[in-house]
Parts: sequence; C-alpha cells; structure tokens
Amino acid sequence: MTMVSNLKRVNSPREGKTLFVRALPYLMIAPTLILVCLFTLYPAVGSVVSSLYDPARNARDPAAYVGLQNYAELFDASHFIGATFMQVLGNTVFFAATTVIFAVPLALVFALLLNRKIKRIGVYRFALFYPALLPLIGAASIWAFLFADPIGLVNTVLRSFGIAGRNWTGDPSLVLLTVTAVNIWKQAGFVMIFYLAGLQNIPRDLYEAAELDGANERQKLFSLTIPLLRRTTLFVLIITLTNAFQTVEHLQALGQGGPGDSSNLLLYYIFQTIGERRNWGYINAMTVILVLVLMTFTVSNFLFFERRNHED
Amino acid sequence: MKIKAADIATILLSALWLTPLIVAVLLSFRPPDEPLSNGNIFVGSHITLDNYISAWAVAPWLTHYRNSVIFVVGVLAVQVVTITLAGYAFARMKFFGRDILLIVILLQLMIPSGVLIVQNFATVRQLGLFDTHIALMLPYWGSAFGLLLMRQTFREIPIELEEAARIDGANIAQLLRYVYVPLSIPAYVAFALVSISSHWNEFLWPFIITRSEEVRPLTVGLNKLVATTDVGALYNQLMAGTLLVIAPLVVLFLFFQRRFIESFARSGLK
Repeated sequence: MTMVSNLKRVNSPREGKTLFVRALPYLMIAPTLILVCLFTLYPAVGSVVSSLYDPARNARDPAAYVGLQNYAELFDASHFIGATFMQVLGNTVFFAATTVIFAVPLALVFALLLNRKIKRIGVYRFALFYPALLPLIGAASIWAFLFADPIGLVNTVLRSFGIAGRNWTGDPSLVLLTVTAVNIWKQAGFVMIFYLAGLQNIPRDLYEAAELDGANERQKLFSLTIPLLRRTTLFVLIITLTNAFQTVEHLQALGQGGPGDSSNLLLYYIFQTIGERRNWGYINAMTVILVLVLMTFTVSNFLFFERRNHED
Repeated sequence: MKIKAADIATILLSALWLTPLIVAVLLSFRPPDEPLSNGNIFVGSHITLDNYISAWAVAPWLTHYRNSVIFVVGVLAVQVVTITLAGYAFARMKFFGRDILLIVILLQLMIPSGVLIVQNFATVRQLGLFDTHIALMLPYWGSAFGLLLMRQTFREIPIELEEAARIDGANIAQLLRYVYVPLSIPAYVAFALVSISSHWNEFLWPFIITRSEEVRPLTVGLNKLVATTDVGALYNQLMAGTLLVIAPLVVLFLFFQRRFIESFARSGLK
C-alpha cells in the first residue's frame, strides 16, 4: 500500500513547521479525544473504582474500601443482591443466546429469499427490515397489544385453535420468552442485511462451476453458500450477542423486568436502580461485569476482522 | 417447484413480520368505544381519528417532536465536524502518539456508552447540565465509528488531489472544504442515516438525563403513553401514539431504502 509513503509526504514534523502546524493534528483530534475520555474512559475507570467501595450510609461518612467484596456478594446467592443479580444475569444470558440461536438462522433464510430475482422486492425488503428501524419502546408498545391478555392478537389466534390464552407479559414463566421473541423479530431483519452483503460478494462463476458438476440447490446451499458465508456468520454472531447485552428498552413496555425480576435484564436492572445510593457499589460492579462481557465480544470481533483488513 | 416454494416462503414470512405494523395501523383507526372483544380485534364499524386525537392530548407531542429534532440534528451537526477533523488527522497527518491516541478513541467502540449510564449520569449532573438539550447530546458528539469511517474514506481519495491543491496554496481548511468533504458525501450520508436513526430511537439515556417535557424527546413521550395504557388498556390510543412516533423514520426509510440498508451494513452497529 502507498499509505505509509503518503503520510510521510504530508506534514512531516521535520520540515521546520511553526508551532501551530505541529499542534494542528492534536487540535483536530482534541474534541473527539476529550469526549471519549470524558464519556468512555473516565466512566469506565470510575465504575471500576466505585465498585471497590462500600458506599457511605450518610453524607458525613467516607466510602469504605472493600476490595472485591461487592463482586463476591453479587455471586453469592444467599446475599440479597446476589440472588437478584444471578437471576438477572441468567436472564440476560438466556435472552442473548436465544436471540442469536433464532435470529441468525432466520436472517440467513431472509437473505437467501431476498437474494433472488423476484417482483416487489422492495415490499419484502421493507417487511423484513422495518423492525430494525423502530425505536425499541415503540416496537414493544405494539407487541404489548399483540401479547395482551385476553384481547391481544396472539391469544385470539391461540383461542381460534382451541388453545387457552396466556398472560404473556404477567406470567413469571413467560415474560422472558415474550421479550426475547420481540428481540428476535427485531434483530432478524438487521442481521439479514449483512448476509445480503455477504451473498453479493460470492462470485457467480462458483455456482456455474458447481452446476456444471451437477450440484443441486441443496448441495449448492450447504457446500458452497453457507461455507463461503462463514466470515459473515462469525461477524453477525458477535454483533448480535453484543447488541443483545445492550438491548433492554423494550422491557419498559413489556412487564418492566417483572414480575419480581423474572424477566429483568442486566442493563435494565442497572437503569432501574441508578438512583439507589446505598447500592452504588453493587451497581458499579454490575456495570463493570457488563463492560467486560461486551469488551470480550468487541475485542474478539476487532481481532478477527481487523486482521482480515490488513491481509487484504 | 423450488422457486415456487421460495416465493411462498417469502410472502408468508413478510406477512408475518408485517403483522404488528398492520395491526397497529388498523387498531389506531378503530373507534375507541367499540370493545376489543374476543375474535373481533381488527375492524371496527367505521374509520375514526379519535385515537389520534386522544393520544395527542396525553403528551405535548409537538414539543417532543421539536426536542427529538434538536437532539438528532444537534448530535449529527457536531459529529460531522469532529469526525471530519479527526478523520483527516488520522488519515493523512503524521504526529507523535498517533497510533496510541487512535486506540484510546477506539475504546468507544469496545465499550458502548449506553452501558456506562450510571457514571455518565453522575458526570452530567456534576457538570450542571442535567435536564438540558446539551446533556442529551454531549456523550454522542465524538464518534469513533464516524472517525473510522471518514479516515477510511479520506484515505481512498488520491493523494495527488491534495498535492495539487497544496501547490495552489490551499490550507487545511480549504483542502477539507473543497477536496475531501465534497468527495466523501456518500460516506457522510451513510453516517447520517445511522446516527439519525439510532438517536431518534434512543430511550434510556434521554429518560434518565431529563425531567421536564421541554427537553424530553419523542421516545420518552411515548413512554408516558405506555404508562397510561397499563392502567386503562387504551390500546387503540397507544397504537395511534406509537405510529406518530415511528412515522418519520418509516417514511424516511421508504424513500431511502437502499441507502439505509447499505449504511446499516457498513456500520455493524445498532
């Protein structure tokens, strides 16, 4: 690549530039850098520090350094916060895993269906993609009606098949499934666009060669298309997981994490408890855990795909 | 036969995925005094705007619309400046500490600011900005994603254009104004669509960082309607209100379908 030599030609600091010219790149990145420091770096470090302290019971007492005790209590099921946290963490893992398991294969099906010469493609593309574009709370408020008991669409359809309606947003054993289903509906169309892009990158002549060898549709799909999409699949698996750990706003219209915390998710729980001063240490420890989970995903994504970019 | 099966699957899945939107539209035009009895949830005796009128009365929607527009435009306008400047610096300038500073900024991609609400809430309060338009926008003004996008776009512009402009005596401001920015419009459009749609839809941050309706965006107004519905099961009204909130983006998407999809595919972000 010519990039390295280009960089040397422009603005080399050794050409006797004025102070202003030498400071210029720093001035140009300063706004972004300051904002990232203030709203990413500082709060990330702040969460770690706060998570190591037991918050003061009143304004006069100093906060007490407790080391990793807050974390220990989060993972102690006999402790009041531990019982809640383990439940919420378990819900979050279930929510993320189930979303991935259903949304990613569905997205591949969507993409395969749309990646053909068909009439009214715009209509189908809209139908499958628009959920990705809705505000979560708006999508959830529509689903709040669909899942309403007894008048909602889902229960009405079930009854027409002779199946008793359920309280989808109130039954502790169902609400988590409900909020997961809504997320699958919303994510599948979003993931589809990455598969569509991936499908368009597969050279046509590979299929022509396969056809000459007598491959049928099924063989082309399983021996050609799906293996060739594995980079896309890896990418969408990671981003779908990453998104799922941050996708909570629909809970606001679908049971608010309840009953109890039976359908609560980690970020939503943090959001709900943000004002609880006495649990400040726990809330920050939870934030740190969430950040670590997300960093694991995004860093692995970065390592996989930045490396590919350098190879290109 | 194969092709037929695929067509049928396309139609069925599209219909299934569209159902919530269709139901919402039907319900929003249904007379509110006709109960949603079992088995008759779709069509009322006539079409009415009553639900829109009653939804309109629940919250000051015009204020919320204005606030949402201020929020997304205010975020985007500043972002365009910061990503252009930083994008150019990282694309074409050589300076001490460049790589390490880029890595620091990329932390924003690794730790989405949405999960740092607890500490950022405290920061904004300390800055005395709680319940202001600025508080809503501030965390988003620097964008590592936008920076990377512009850095990549600027690098693909032939260096010869810059050299020619420099021989003509152009300074950096002129270089950006007349060479780099005009040649990068598609990247800006892609970035704008992603930025606008994600901030238009944002709920948690606006909800915790604002208190008065004078500042709160549409999603928070919709939340008020959701809370009202919980009490009275006023689903017709909720559907009408929801459609009022999502309409601008859905219409924008109808006009720019391809652009939207390409932009989202480029971002890999929510």
